[in-house]
Amino acid sequence: MNLTLKTSLTIAGGVVIALAAGCSSMKTPTTVDLAVSQAAVDNAAAGGGAQFAPADMSSARDKQALAIKAMADKDYQLASDLAAQAQADAQLAQAKANSTKAQAAADALREDIRVLRDELARVR
Amino acid sequence: MTTFQRTPIMLAFALLLGACSSVPTTTSLLTQARADYASAQASPDVARYAQLELKNAGDAMAQADAAANSHESLEHINSLAYVTKQKLALTQEVTKQRIAEAEVTQSGKQRDQMRLDQRTQEAAVAKANAQAAQANAQVATASAQASNANAAQAQLAAQTAQANAAQAQLKTQEAQNRAALLEVELKALAAKKTARGVVITLGDVLFGTDLARLTAEGMRSAQRLAKVLQENPERNVLVEGFTDSTGSEAHNQQLSERRANAVRTALLESGVAGERIAMRGYGESFPVAANDTQGNRQLNRRVEIVLSDESGKTIAR
Repeated sequence: MNLTLKTSLTIAGGVVIALAAGCSSMKTPTTVDLAVSQAAVDNAAAGGGAQFAPADMSSARDKQALAIKAMADKDYQLASDLAAQAQADAQLAQAKANSTKAQAAADALREDIRVLRDELARVR
Repeated sequence: MTTFQRTPIMLAFALLLGACSSVPTTTSLLTQARADYASAQASPDVARYAQLELKNAGDAMAQADAAANSHESLEHINSLAYVTKQKLALTQEVTKQRIAEAEVTQSGKQRDQMRLDQRTQEAAVAKANAQAAQANAQVATASAQASNANAAQAQLAAQTAQANAAQAQLKTQEAQNRAALLEVELKALAAKKTARGVVITLGDVLFGTDLARLTAEGMRSAQRLAKVLQENPERNVLVEGFTDSTGSEAHNQQLSERRANAVRTALLESGVAGERIAMRGYGESFPVAANDTQGNRQLNRRVEIVLSDESGKTIAR
């Protein structure tokens, strides 16, 4: 009875694994994904992500760390997903930094123009 | 006991089989991602500025949809949905960035134009100032020239006045000199100042007895008088002839007239204009002494020359 139970459990587990494997598109080790996401995080950090989009930046860093951990745990699917999320977060952080800078430049120019217009009006 | 243990295993089976059914799996994150995607697709700004980013997000969306259709793990579907959402957010950020950059380009041009306007304006102001300064300088020069001219005119006027003064002084001097000279010459002619003016008496000795001709000495006296008259052209003379009471009255009258005429002739000959010389004969009238002795009679035989004042008028007796 005890043996039967053990055997049936083992079979059931195998079926679960097989089904799970069949329904998901498991990928082979995602070292490349992790490298790409790490590069994205580093770029975003260098591009002012931490300054202009701190929430996205820390999210990216956390997910990158989790991805590395999942990789170490050989949970490749999770590692790949987390790496993709970390990359998306990092890229968004950088885009926010870029757009903030561009808007600051536009604002500065607008102010310049306002001052110039005032000056011109004063002289006239 | 055994049936109790088998139930969870069978449940797991059912779940896994259900997951593989043909109805796509849906998660709230996936729904959100689809909504975000639809709104990004509807945005003209996104279409204009972030086409590539939208396409990338669209690819991610397709991946998430595919995962949902093939019933992959919720975790994976959610992960793909999350990535899609982030990519759509990135698309919006890029759109904002490009709009801002376009504004920078446009504003940069506008600012450059305005700076150019400003410089032009400054240049115009500077030019106007320069012209005003030049105009001021010209006005200043003109006024300086005017005051120079005034000064020159004033100097000229001063010089003229000085010259006039000098001339006047000279004239005064001349007049004084002439007066002094006249006095000297009249003294030489033994002139006497009377109520009628200066009277010069040419005595009997200057005429021949009973003659109307001047002696040489009488001639000199006449010439001296003529010179005085020439030097004092404003003065005229009245020549008056007198005799003593010897002889008839008519004869004496005639003689007095002839003697006066002789003096007149002598003056005319010496260059004195005839209209300046008036002439009267008084005969034996107006004696200066009694006709009792030879000496007294001689005093009465005479010619008196009355010199007019400066107005040229002589006063007859």
